[in-house]
Amino acid sequence: MKTHVQTYTATLLRRKWLSKKTFEIFASRPPGFTFTPGQRISLSLNEHERDYSIVSAPKESELTLCIRKVADGKLSALLSAADTGASLVIRGPHGYFTYRPSPRPAVFVATGTGIAPFCSMARSGISGFTILHGVRLAADLYYASQLRKNALKYIACLSESKKLPANAFPGKVTQYLEQHLIPGAYDFYLCGRNEMIRDVTHLIDRRFPESLVYTELFY
Amino acid sequence: MKIYTGTGDKGKTSLFSGERVPKDNARIDAYGDIDELNSILGTLASHLSDEAELTEELQQIQSDLMQLSAWLATSPNSALIESLEEISTKQITFLEDAINRITHGLPVLKSFILPQGHPTASWAHVARTVCRRSERKVVPLLSDLPEGKAAEQYRKSLVYLNRLSDYLFVLARHCNHIHGVPDKLWKT
Repeated sequence: MKTHVQTYTATLLRRKWLSKKTFEIFASRPPGFTFTPGQRISLSLNEHERDYSIVSAPKESELTLCIRKVADGKLSALLSAADTGASLVIRGPHGYFTYRPSPRPAVFVATGTGIAPFCSMARSGISGFTILHGVRLAADLYYASQLRKNALKYIACLSESKKLPANAFPGKVTQYLEQHLIPGAYDFYLCGRNEMIRDVTHLIDRRFPESLVYTELFY
Repeated sequence: MKIYTGTGDKGKTSLFSGERVPKDNARIDAYGDIDELNSILGTLASHLSDEAELTEELQQIQSDLMQLSAWLATSPNSALIESLEEISTKQITFLEDAINRITHGLPVLKSFILPQGHPTASWAHVARTVCRRSERKVVPLLSDLPEGKAAEQYRKSLVYLNRLSDYLFVLARHCNHIHGVPDKLWKT
């Protein structure tokens, strides 16, 4: 496969908290660095490295990443506290989780920060898709307004929230797909944790077998 | 860190182009054999670690086989074939040059030989037979293809696999030769 992976250096410009445990970092875009919406990069700081999907669009002057601070995560902890101006090493871009136009309707399914590649696609002008964002609480529905602009349908799937925002679905993404997506052939794009990818893929095999499935696994 | 998803637990898997197919699908079968071949080449390379030129050559072939697998894992009518690296004539010439170089240093062969000898030679013979099986699996995939870029690449893959089988034959003899093991001729 055609790959042009290189190593670049970027500068941490600022950080913005999106919810209690999730934040965005904005980094300078290294000269010559290009990518396709949906791709990810390997980011390292102080010899800790991890892959993150890019949130921003290729045309934007800054690189934006969406990061969840995890309890045992060394890099996410470092990034949550790193000083502005810190030097970041970037390798990439990686992956083939990119939008492929087709006559079938596109259904994007994300859990948590798995929403990142779909943001990049929407910010790049891709539109007309159905998108499901599965989170526990309404506070984790970051990027909702950005995605609504381009989506044919945006469905927030809240598994634990007692207060539901307007039009939100009370349950998991699998439950929504099972109960509300009409049978047919779709192009499914799944990004998130392995449990969601496994469950949705099995559901697609059973309920939408003529569909295509593209996946990006978040650990 | 979990590296498994369990999406294949019910006997289906995904092609690179997104289709969900049973694991005994002809494409999966074909690139599964190439994966087996690739792994045998890895085994062979690990036994030839003192032979820098050969291990480097085998590593290049392993990368080429990954490239072939990507073509087999992609539905020919998918736009994704545009993202695949084309198999070049240069990659086939690479094998031909290696065959010529190796053959030059070997005794002339006038009859069939038995696939045996030094362990490295035996692994090369196993690789050769799996390579031939891979070739047999690609042939029916090509017969179903309409003319186009994918068909052209499948034809190139067949040339590559055919040449690779020849390479592995001379490599097996070479492995015996460098280890002081003579060819065992077939006596009828």
